[in-house]
Amino acid sequence: MKDKIFTFITIGLIALIGNWVGYDVTPIEALPGMIIIVAVTILGFLFAKIIPIKLPIVVWVSMLALLVTTPIFPGNASIAKVTEQVNFMALATPILAYAGLSFGKDLKDFKKLGWRIVMVSLVVYTGTFVLSTLVAEIGFRITGQFH
Amino acid sequence: MIENSLRNNWKIHLFVLILVGVAEFIGVKNFNIGIGTIALFPMLYALIIGAIISLPSFNIVKMKEMNLAANILGISFMLFVAKLGMLMGPSLPKIFEAGISLGLQEAGHFAGTILLGLPIALLLGMKREAVGATFSIDREPNLAIIAEKYGSDSPEGRGAIGVYVCGTLFGALYLSVLASFMAQTGWFHPISLAMGAGVGSGSMMAAMSGALAVIFPESAKDIAVFAGAANIITTILGTYICVFFSLPFTNYLYKKLEPILGRKSKKDQNETTNIGGA
Repeated sequence: MKDKIFTFITIGLIALIGNWVGYDVTPIEALPGMIIIVAVTILGFLFAKIIPIKLPIVVWVSMLALLVTTPIFPGNASIAKVTEQVNFMALATPILAYAGLSFGKDLKDFKKLGWRIVMVSLVVYTGTFVLSTLVAEIGFRITGQFH
Repeated sequence: MIENSLRNNWKIHLFVLILVGVAEFIGVKNFNIGIGTIALFPMLYALIIGAIISLPSFNIVKMKEMNLAANILGISFMLFVAKLGMLMGPSLPKIFEAGISLGLQEAGHFAGTILLGLPIALLLGMKREAVGATFSIDREPNLAIIAEKYGSDSPEGRGAIGVYVCGTLFGALYLSVLASFMAQTGWFHPISLAMGAGVGSGSMMAAMSGALAVIFPESAKDIAVFAGAANIITTILGTYICVFFSLPFTNYLYKKLEPILGRKSKKDQNETTNIGGA
C-alpha cells in the first residue's frame, strides 16, 4: 500500500507539470486540488480493503469522489472548485504514457496473431462504441433531452 | 512488481514525465485530410511516442520495465477516475435526468460487440474462437470468465486473448480516431458519444473522451462526466452481464448463425481453430 501511495503521489506530480505546460495552471494553484484527488484515491483503495463488499476498486474510488462533491457533503462546493484547477485531460496524459511504454511487451504475442483476429478486434471495439452511442442518441431524441 | 517502489521505478516515471511535458507542450493540432479533420492531442502523442520508445528493437525500455509500466497504468487510471467522480458530483441531477438513455445505452455496450463482431468473425471463417473474441471487449475480467469456463488454451480462450492483445496495443488509438470521425458526422450529440466512450476500459475511455473534448471544447466537462458515468456502470455491470447474458447469448447466436455464415465445413475446422496459422 505504501508503494501505491508513492506511485499516486508521483503520478499526481507528473500531472501537475502537464497541467502547467498544457493548461497554464501553475502547480501552486493546482496543488490543493491534486492533494484532494490523490487523497480520495487512496481512501478508495482503503475502503476496498476494509469493507467486505466485493466491488472493483475503481467503483469505490468513483463513489467516494462523487460523494465528496455532491451537495450533501460539507464543503462540497469548495472541493469541486479547487479540483477544477486540475484539467481532466492533464490526468489522462500520464495514463496513456504508461500505456505507450508498455506497448513493446505485447508485441511478440501480437505477431503470432492472424489478420482475422485483428480485424475482428477492431469490429468488436467499433460495435460496442457505435451501438451504445446510437442507443443513447435515439434515447435523447425520443425524450427530447439535450436536443 | 510495483512493490519495488520508486527506487526501481524512477526510470519509467521519468520517461512518463518527459512524455507528458513534450506532449502537453505540442498541444492540440488539427489536420484536414479531406474526408474530415484528424484531431491530434497530447494523450495520443504520449501514447505513440511511448510505444515507439518501448519497441524491443530499440532496447531502451526493458521487459521488466514494460511490465512495471503496465502495472502502474492500472493504478494511474484511479486518479483519473477520482477526478471524473468529482466532476460528476455537482452534475448528479443532470446524470439522473439522462438516466433512461444512460441505462439503455449500456445494452449497446454489451450487445454491440456480439451483434457486429460475431457475424463478421464467422464470415471471416472463424469457428469457436469467434465466441471468445466477440462476447465482450475482452479486458481482464472478461478473460477470467472465459478461462474459467473453457480454459485459456481453448479456441474460445485464444479468441478472447487475441482481442485482448489487440485492444491493449491499439484499442485506445483506434477508438479515439473512430470517436473523432463519429463526432464529425454531426449526427450525434456530444453526450451520446461520451456515453458510448464508456466502454469499460480505462485507457480507451480516457483517449476517447479526450478526442471528443477536442472536437467539442464547449462540452468538455459534460463529456468527461458522461463518459465517466457510463464507464463506471459498464464496469459494475460488466462481470454479471458477461456471465448471465453475453456468453449464453453469443453461444446461442453462434449456433444460429454458424450454419449460415460459417465459411467452411466442419472438417476444415481444425485448420481455422489455429488462429496462428491464419
